[in-house]
Amino acid sequence: MSALHPFSLLAIAAALPAFAWILPAPTGGLATAGLALMLPLVPDPRWGVRVVRLALLTAAPFWLFLRLLHDGPTTVAIGGRITTMVASFVWLVAVLSPDRLVEAMVARGWSLAVAYVFAATLSAVPVLKARARRIVEAQRCRGLSPRGSVANRLRALRALALPLVLSALHEVDERTLALETRGLGAGVPRTPLAAPPDRPAERVARWALLLLCLAALIWRLA
Amino acid sequence: MAVNGALAFDGVAFSYGNVAALRDVSFEVAAGERVALLGRNGAGKSSVVRLVTGVLHPDEGTVWVGDWDTAGRAPEELAWRVGSVFQHADQQLFARTLREDVSFGPRALGFPAPEVRRRTDEALDALDLHAHAAQHPYDLSPALRKLAALAGALALEPTVLVLDEPTAGLDRAGRGRVADAVREHADRGAALLVVTHDLAFAAETLQRGIVLDRGRLACDEPLDRLLTSAERLKPLGLVPPPVAALSVALDLPGRPVRERDAADTLARVAGGRSRS
Ligand SMILES: Nc1ncnc2c1ncn2[C@@H]1O[C@H](COP(=O)(O)OP(=O)(O)OP(=O)(O)O)[C@@H](O)[C@H]1O
Ligand SMILES: [Mg+2]
Repeated sequence: MSALHPFSLLAIAAALPAFAWILPAPTGGLATAGLALMLPLVPDPRWGVRVVRLALLTAAPFWLFLRLLHDGPTTVAIGGRITTMVASFVWLVAVLSPDRLVEAMVARGWSLAVAYVFAATLSAVPVLKARARRIVEAQRCRGLSPRGSVANRLRALRALALPLVLSALHEVDERTLALETRGLGAGVPRTPLAAPPDRPAERVARWALLLLCLAALIWRLA
Repeated sequence: MAVNGALAFDGVAFSYGNVAALRDVSFEVAAGERVALLGRNGAGKSSVVRLVTGVLHPDEGTVWVGDWDTAGRAPEELAWRVGSVFQHADQQLFARTLREDVSFGPRALGFPAPEVRRRTDEALDALDLHAHAAQHPYDLSPALRKLAALAGALALEPTVLVLDEPTAGLDRAGRGRVADAVREHADRGAALLVVTHDLAFAAETLQRGIVLDRGRLACDEPLDRLLTSAERLKPLGLVPPPVAALSVALDLPGRPVRERDAADTLARVAGGRSRS
């Protein structure tokens, strides 16, 4: 799966949510959610299960809030669509390495700054996860127990949230600085070392996906 | 195995997935002993630190903290005996004031308020941080945050203190404060294991050197001997600190590696010469 061209991965991750909102609810949203949750299982089920679990955990709070605000059918209708969005994004982050995306975008003549913003969004997720793990570890080494009572867990969460947010903000600063010192936006075309291969079949498939989206949109609006 | 030391590795192996980080590592650190853990980048030093704290557990062999086998023990349990400062320690502070942050450990372990206060005061004292006690941790410089993280570890009053690069990013005064604080803590009976690339700091503050090379124990001996033997340091990716290099170059008697000892020896040698 990760052998696909970065643009193909992006196209799939964008098409699924698009279909989820275009197709009639609740069937459309639930079907796309199912597809999005099956995607990670295709290349390697053991790895895929972890991705699916993360997607479900991320989507769960949305269902909760929807249920508090809406009746059953509306919850299912919107919930399916949101699950599709969350699952597609989680899958994309898991499967697409930011460097490959940057290479592909630059090879296609995009400005490095735009490519960088895309890639930074993707790469921030694993960086933040790793940092969160490090912070929790450090707190546990000072005696904080992340298990046990609700009060305990809330304390653990508070001990995590502040350093995570502050260091992330600090990082944004640093990244901006890094962009500037590297003279991004100077308008010099750059050649990536190894442009990822883009097979003709994949190009055709991406155009087909786009046309299919348009067709569904026209069908729904007509 | 009979456990004498405050900390012991016995045939420890550890891998991250396929990456073997440590292979058959054995050593012991006695109570009150000050040991440097050296080696080039990726040698496995931080992995040793994580194994001592119980954040990681060995694949093979045993890590002993006193008479506790770390297997099956979580970091929050080992916190009763192990104090640690990780490589990115300045990112882990979270309380509203530095004082509150330093007191976090003793509070988490459930000590009563007067005991928490005593430990916090002593730890702030040890690193000379009282002047900043009321400040927000993120209003302080990264160097001060690093000292604060060390104070947080000292407040646990651990029998084993493991520090990963405690002097990185500190100026001379900061390094001096760290040196004084950890020496004092070891004198009270704690075993000290310090990962460092700063051999000058190691020479001044620590006694024994353990060197890792690609996950294996490459050498374990008194630091003054190790640091004055350039031909053995070189293949391990280490460069002797200036004072050690000087005492080798001048062939000073006893080959001192600490500034004070070298100065004394030089004075003696020079004094002897001027009299004769
Ligand atoms: N979380 C991890 N996942 C996979 N491999 C890791 C992980 N952490 C460390 N390693 C690998 O294990 C080996 C030992 O790493 P370790 O961090 O213990 O080295 P180190 O001696 O502390 O290096 P440094 O001086 O750069 O801090 C290295 O090859 C490193 O790439
Ligand atoms: Mg390290």
